[in-house]
Amino acid sequence: MPDDVSALGLAARPAPAGARLSRAAPFVVAGLAAVALWIAPLVLDTFAVNVLTRSMIYAVLAVTVDLLWGFAGILTFGQAAFFGVGAYATAMALTYLGATPEWIAVALALAVVAPMALGLAVGWLSFYHRSTALYASVISLVTPIVVTQLIYSGGEWTGSSSGLVGFDVLPLELEGFFRLAALLLIAVTLAAWVFVRSDAGRALVAVRDNDARCAYLGLSPKRLQIALTTVLAGVAGLAGFVFANASSVVAPENAGFLFGTELVIWVALGGRGTLLGPVLGTIAIDYLAANLSGDLPFLWQLLLGTAFVAVIILLPGGLAEVARRAWGALPVGRRPGFAPRLVASPPRAEAAPSDAPLLKIDGLAKSYGSLTVLENIDLEIRAGELVSLVGPNGAGKTTLMRCLSDGTEPFTGAVSIGGVSTAGLTPNRIVALGVGRKFQVASVFESLTVADCLLLARAPHDGLSAFGRAESLTLPQAALDVLRMTGLDRMLAEPTRLLSHGQKQALELAMVVALEPRVILLDEPTAGLTKAERTTIGAVLKTLTADLGIAAVLVEHDLDFVRQISSRIVVLHQGRLVLDGTVDEVVNSDLVRTIYSGGAHV
Amino acid sequence: MLKRHLAGVAAALALAASPAFAADKPIVIGVPVGLSGANSVVAPSVVQSAELAVEEINAAGGVLGRQLKLEVADDASGAAGAQKAFDSLIYQKKVDVLISMETSAARNAGLPAVTKGKVPYIYTSFYEGRSCNKNLFVNAWVPEQQVPPIVDAFAKGKGAKTYFLIGSDYAFGRGMLAFTKSYIEKIGGKVVGEEYLPMDGSDWTAIISKLKDAKPDALITSTAGGAPNVTLTKQLRGAGVTLPYANLAVDEGTAKSMGADAEGIYLSASYVTGIDSPENKTFLAAMEKKFGAGLKTPNDLSVPQYEAIYLYKAAVEKAGGTETAKVLEALPTVSFTGPRGSISMSKQHHAPLTMYLGQVQGDGSVKVVSSFKDVDPGEQCPKLN
Amino acid sequence: MLLILDVLTTAGILFVVSIGLLAVFGVLKIINFAHGAWLTIGAYCAVVAAQLGLNPWAALPLAFVIGAALGGLAELFIIRPLYRRPLDAILATWGLGIVIGQLITLGFGRDVQMTTNLFSGTVEIFGADYSAYRLVALGAAVVIGVAFALTIEGTRLGLSARAVIMNETLARGLGIDTARVRLFTFMIGAGLAALAGVLLTPLTSVDPNMGVSWLIGAFMLVMVADASFLALGVACLVFGAAQVLISTFVSPILGSIAIAVLAALVLRISPKGFSRA
Repeated sequence: MPDDVSALGLAARPAPAGARLSRAAPFVVAGLAAVALWIAPLVLDTFAVNVLTRSMIYAVLAVTVDLLWGFAGILTFGQAAFFGVGAYATAMALTYLGATPEWIAVALALAVVAPMALGLAVGWLSFYHRSTALYASVISLVTPIVVTQLIYSGGEWTGSSSGLVGFDVLPLELEGFFRLAALLLIAVTLAAWVFVRSDAGRALVAVRDNDARCAYLGLSPKRLQIALTTVLAGVAGLAGFVFANASSVVAPENAGFLFGTELVIWVALGGRGTLLGPVLGTIAIDYLAANLSGDLPFLWQLLLGTAFVAVIILLPGGLAEVARRAWGALPVGRRPGFAPRLVASPPRAEAAPSDAPLLKIDGLAKSYGSLTVLENIDLEIRAGELVSLVGPNGAGKTTLMRCLSDGTEPFTGAVSIGGVSTAGLTPNRIVALGVGRKFQVASVFESLTVADCLLLARAPHDGLSAFGRAESLTLPQAALDVLRMTGLDRMLAEPTRLLSHGQKQALELAMVVALEPRVILLDEPTAGLTKAERTTIGAVLKTLTADLGIAAVLVEHDLDFVRQISSRIVVLHQGRLVLDGTVDEVVNSDLVRTIYSGGAHV
Repeated sequence: MLKRHLAGVAAALALAASPAFAADKPIVIGVPVGLSGANSVVAPSVVQSAELAVEEINAAGGVLGRQLKLEVADDASGAAGAQKAFDSLIYQKKVDVLISMETSAARNAGLPAVTKGKVPYIYTSFYEGRSCNKNLFVNAWVPEQQVPPIVDAFAKGKGAKTYFLIGSDYAFGRGMLAFTKSYIEKIGGKVVGEEYLPMDGSDWTAIISKLKDAKPDALITSTAGGAPNVTLTKQLRGAGVTLPYANLAVDEGTAKSMGADAEGIYLSASYVTGIDSPENKTFLAAMEKKFGAGLKTPNDLSVPQYEAIYLYKAAVEKAGGTETAKVLEALPTVSFTGPRGSISMSKQHHAPLTMYLGQVQGDGSVKVVSSFKDVDPGEQCPKLN
Repeated sequence: MLLILDVLTTAGILFVVSIGLLAVFGVLKIINFAHGAWLTIGAYCAVVAAQLGLNPWAALPLAFVIGAALGGLAELFIIRPLYRRPLDAILATWGLGIVIGQLITLGFGRDVQMTTNLFSGTVEIFGADYSAYRLVALGAAVVIGVAFALTIEGTRLGLSARAVIMNETLARGLGIDTARVRLFTFMIGAGLAALAGVLLTPLTSVDPNMGVSWLIGAFMLVMVADASFLALGVACLVFGAAQVLISTFVSPILGSIAIAVLAALVLRISPKGFSRA
């Protein structure tokens, strides 16, 4: 096929150049912006310099809000609180300690560390196994309220409602503060830009899209969210430091809930999830406010409020969305998606074959109130076995899978993986024990590409770069086989939301296989697939168990499929394990026939 | 219409012909004020009295032959808004002076810009005291002037020995009550309770129950103006509290809007509409004439604004120009006799004031019970002499 | 004794203020951050009623009708497009609250408004004078709670609403017009908020921002109650008591943030709040 070859050849050469260009783009833009903003104070009048200094500091906060809300899906009103803590730490240090270089350094350290400590506490409070997005927003709302109240109650110390004023600051002129704010904004935006385009940045989006899948890939979404909250609290505190110095005054409203909502409004109008949108939106709106709100104080609020409501409902992408659509209509705006090279990882050293069961279930029982769903389940599965779990709907198969993969699920009895009890372990820690789970409904990351999904699946093994994109993606041969057999290897740059149902199933299977688990839990992996796809998956499962020694538990309705690939079959009926035997034993048993014809009450 | 048009042309010709064109530029007065936010209720009255002062002065030939011009900016009653307003006035509108009634947070937020921009700043709002800056002058009262008349009246007039203090948790609330407490103790009284609620708090239940438990002889409150004031008064009346009650933060306008609930409340102010002096009568008549039905009742926050513009006029005339250093030098030495009497910001950038003790009547008006002449502001800014 | 009355009446007032928010959250699964604005709308209905010279009590039905009507409009144009985006709904309703606040400011001015007192004076109870109106408010809370319970348990709308709360897909499958249920529920929620606004007028100042200070508390209580109105009653009692006790024995400033902080901690420990108990 000469066509194909030439196409490949053509595609291969410009791609690295394009990638390099695109990687350099943020730095070029940042460099140009830095030069422009360095010169700006010479051209602008004092009023503009002053107002823009503050606008740029607010824009730093907008970047942090955008990372949290636009990328990681955490709607937060709390950035104002961290900003306020940073600003107050600075102001109080400068007021009570003085503005010598040493004390300014101390103030800077305090302005970053104090908000980070608070951020850590807020993160711990907001994110825990099974916490909801709404709860995190609730906490982010309470935080500024509490911080403001503390400032009011601080009396002379914090200046109460009047704030602190008249402390000595960094020895800079107006232009100097303008440049300082500009450099901070550029540095923070650049770092954020590089980060969100890096592999680690995809993890933020992954957590937003599907934090359950993240956990079942062995990533800890909660730890990621806490880390993000903490780091961005520090960034907000740093902005607070610059603010306190540039304006030499701090006030409670700088830390307040209303300021927090204002930040969200700016980010929403600018365009969440775009970084540059919120930056430009914040600067534009704040600058406009400084010019207009004096003349029409109430009308300004009314216009802003109306615009905000309209944008949220009609244009969730904000003004950046409009710009992007316009840009996308131009031919230059389109860029092919990025895809790494696929590399097969060397086969894992065979674990010494052992007779000890890999998965052991001992007297497991679970009930919801008075309704017993599972009862008295004992099961042992050894390496290389492919055990199919069959039974009619409602027999408790999926519940059993959940109990196996989530130790925080309330059940009695014991589950152990390779001899380690899973009691109380969250899914990501069970994944670390070597368990991979594929869900009944394909669970992938809708906003990411096929390659990104696989990269995240490899994160526990290979880590994620916070600075760039991996050039190559190393996958175990079995995962590559899944991709190849389903044609996904040619769709690496494709967003997963465009995949067919069967392709999503295959992708999820490839992701689970990429974890290199010792035990693999598969909940109806072939549901809704074509005959050909089913055969492919069957072959992969056989390889995994027979050749690689993985233990597999398969929930399946299709008895023909089960018969072809299983090494053992377990029958679950009304929450009890009624049969456990070889394929022949089970398939030919009268009991199974009665159950499937619906008559048995064992 | 035609006449005005002709006058305009004549003025333009005169300007163009005049060699001293720069000197004839108007003197610009910046008024950053809370058109929105907490101060938005009182702000219109402040702007009105500033407009009257400017109109009167311009009609009488201006200051050193130059006309006055007002630039009003909204500070949103807070720090962030004040930063914008001060920047806009100082750097964009290039004002010669700032004269304004503002919240303490807004005043503080504006001070760095005032210092950097090197403009004089006359603050016309009563406040908790001790805000010191070489560019800042204050012609309204501080706790040292306002509190003693009330406490003295309760101690001597009502024989009150025990007091309960309630405030909003902010600089003014705490500052006023701290002074009140020390003054009560100085004259031998006793404070049996001192309670605060956050500024946006609306539930005074527990505090009122504590007040009832403490059974004091008198109650003194200092809440944030507007909503907290009204809320507390409504809940006090609802709970049947009938103690002698002085409110350090209520003005005539708010008292009127509270209706019957405010009846009997004592207040202490440097201005009440009922001051019986020719200056006050002329002032009220002029306001009535200029604003008619749209008139916002002049009050303790708007009248100092009117007088401050006259004080600035006097200082500029004495300094022979608007140069900041000279104006600052002249400001403490000039005086003006206005609706509140003779005012001079001669005491450490603050002004001795005649204080009036009043009591709210059933119809919301304030009856003057007694007055205290030229009460000294005390040690406000010793470093500014 | 006074303390118990304070706790009960505080709980009653909190219940009145939050019940509308709860109705909306329960059925629509959406937090109406414009709830505070509807309290304000209700209070201004009382102002208008006073200006028209109506009996102060006439403001109650008036506010309910106007609040519900405006609520219907808000549901159609703002809430409906956002059912699938609950966090965005929080933001859109917050924006709506700003807009309503500014419109009220433009229409009535920023000033504190006069209302006629619904009920004044004190009654002697257990040997002490107690604010009569607070007892009236407690009574109103009980009446509203009972009426709400009867609506939920006894009417078709209540039945449909419960079905939607339990399982929306199933409810739709059973032929329930869920869009209508949502519309009516939002109207009732908005109407109740406006009603609460009238009931607040004797206790607080009436100004364009009055609703905001009640919003956070109501929001936290509803979070803890998680769509169960009995749990809301319990939450109001427990957190109302916490607020009064902390205000009385520790500091009113801590008391005023007690609801927000304690509710956040309760949710951290037990994410379903009080509804499980």
